[in-house]
Amino acid sequence: MSKINSEETVVIRRRDLHNDYYSLTFGPLKGISRCRPGHFIHVKLPTSDIFFRRAMSVASVNPESRELEIIFKVFGRGTTRLARFRSGDPIDVLGPLGVGFSKPKKRERVICVAGGIGFPPLLYLATSLVAAGFDPKQIEFFYGGRSAPDIIERQRIRKLGVNFHPVTEDGSVGKKGLVTHHVAELIEARPDEKVRLYACGPEGMLRSTNQLGLDMGVPGELALEAPMPCGIGVCLGCVVPLTKGGYARVCYDGPVFQIGEVAL
Amino acid sequence: MTPDLSVTIAGVSFKNPILTASGCCGYGEELAGVFSLSKLGGLVTKSITREVRQGHPPPRTAETGGGMLNAIGLANVGIERFIEEKIPFLEKQKTNIIVNVAGSKISEYVEICARLNDQPRVDMVELNISCPNVDVGGIEFGTQPTLTEDTIRRVRQVFKRPIIAKLAPNVTDISAIAQAAEQGGADALAVINSVVGMVVDPHTWRPRITNNKGGLTGPAIKPIALAAVDRVYNSPCNLPIIGIGGIATVDDMVEFLLCGATAVQIGTALFVEPDTPVKIEAGLKKYLRGKKMASVRDLVGKVRKY
Repeated sequence: MSKINSEETVVIRRRDLHNDYYSLTFGPLKGISRCRPGHFIHVKLPTSDIFFRRAMSVASVNPESRELEIIFKVFGRGTTRLARFRSGDPIDVLGPLGVGFSKPKKRERVICVAGGIGFPPLLYLATSLVAAGFDPKQIEFFYGGRSAPDIIERQRIRKLGVNFHPVTEDGSVGKKGLVTHHVAELIEARPDEKVRLYACGPEGMLRSTNQLGLDMGVPGELALEAPMPCGIGVCLGCVVPLTKGGYARVCYDGPVFQIGEVAL
Repeated sequence: MTPDLSVTIAGVSFKNPILTASGCCGYGEELAGVFSLSKLGGLVTKSITREVRQGHPPPRTAETGGGMLNAIGLANVGIERFIEEKIPFLEKQKTNIIVNVAGSKISEYVEICARLNDQPRVDMVELNISCPNVDVGGIEFGTQPTLTEDTIRRVRQVFKRPIIAKLAPNVTDISAIAQAAEQGGADALAVINSVVGMVVDPHTWRPRITNNKGGLTGPAIKPIALAAVDRVYNSPCNLPIIGIGGIATVDDMVEFLLCGATAVQIGTALFVEPDTPVKIEAGLKKYLRGKKMASVRDLVGKVRKY
């Protein structure tokens, strides 16, 4: 196995997605052939007042050009600095890291449950499934947010040909309410189908998805987020409690965990 | 000419004076995915306790100015599983293996070190004496000279290879603790462990880690660590010193050597640049060549003080 290492690469594109959302594409990255949906990279910020790297989930990769895209929302000091990168800037990246999503079985209906800024790994998952020949009509892409500006990259999702279900709390775009409520409705409406959930989003949404999976007997996976000092499994700083007791490292044992595995 | 990076500490030869610090490299398995551990002078494992410990609930770490605060809670597999599951991997590594040991009673240190004495590939033990001693109301072993001396003396009886005492900086006079460690039979000192600190969220009024207080590490503590190394080096204690505290570059390392350290441990820097030891090793060769020095040993204690 090739060694994990940090490498300095270059920002190729920065896109302002509005409402404080940004997309950064950089490359070429040596380690990109290892990258799978659910993986993250650990970005060093070129400022002395931010000590740790920042873990960012991967939104897309281009294996030919060896480029990798992240999408994020400006939230704190790290993402504020990240949004200041411009094309041509050098950027120090460690990864891809972590355990990604497993592949769905051939006949399974894939249900992506994205919430707010948890959407990038699911965009990557849906994109790579479609690219690998998975029928896009077998993918239900739920994407929840507070209101319309929180549902970004809608054209890009539609272009994949997946069944797109935007959901907003205020009903300003798509269906109104909580995304997990509409996911449950769809599963109930298709009792004879084998389905698999893939979720990433705020803690409350992950908890509901986890519970939904357990209650309805639907398998699935959750991609978690945590502040990570090291990203490579050595510091034990980013742990989550497991239902069987003890803790797991989000960075090394995850960030993707099975439904029922983590005590949310 | 390639400068000589080898050093000897308490009779143990190190190919270079660069070690990884306890708690910053697990049991080596993950770091082996970053670089070959044979590049290291030595690897110091996570603290091993008698029983398995799950550690504190999260959050366990907080970012600070130039460093981090942590209270992991000595999460580790316990001595039994360490010997069964971790030693077989460590045995294969071409580097010195130093096992860090923690306990809440002197008898626990003794029990663990007796087990480790039967493991020939464990080159040294490093005693984490920054733990509360439950037998004397939670006073930390390493804050009192008598407790330090007693603990090491008892371990000395069961562990026949060199013992490193890892000193805490949270004391009035670290040289008194160093001398007590020497009295007890320690063979070397690791100076320093993390500095007690606290970080509070001004909006939620909550400490940022669940243990409320934690250990500060990283570049923020480097001047504290250097002063401690200098103080111990200039004390009546004659033990070799392994410097530790905020080392991230070869220049940082050289500072520690100049102040009296024979070797150093790299800790928190691994979380930002996991291959820091490899970079420092290359940097050290270059530094010595630039200074036209034949051996890294010639730097030890050479600080030109005012």
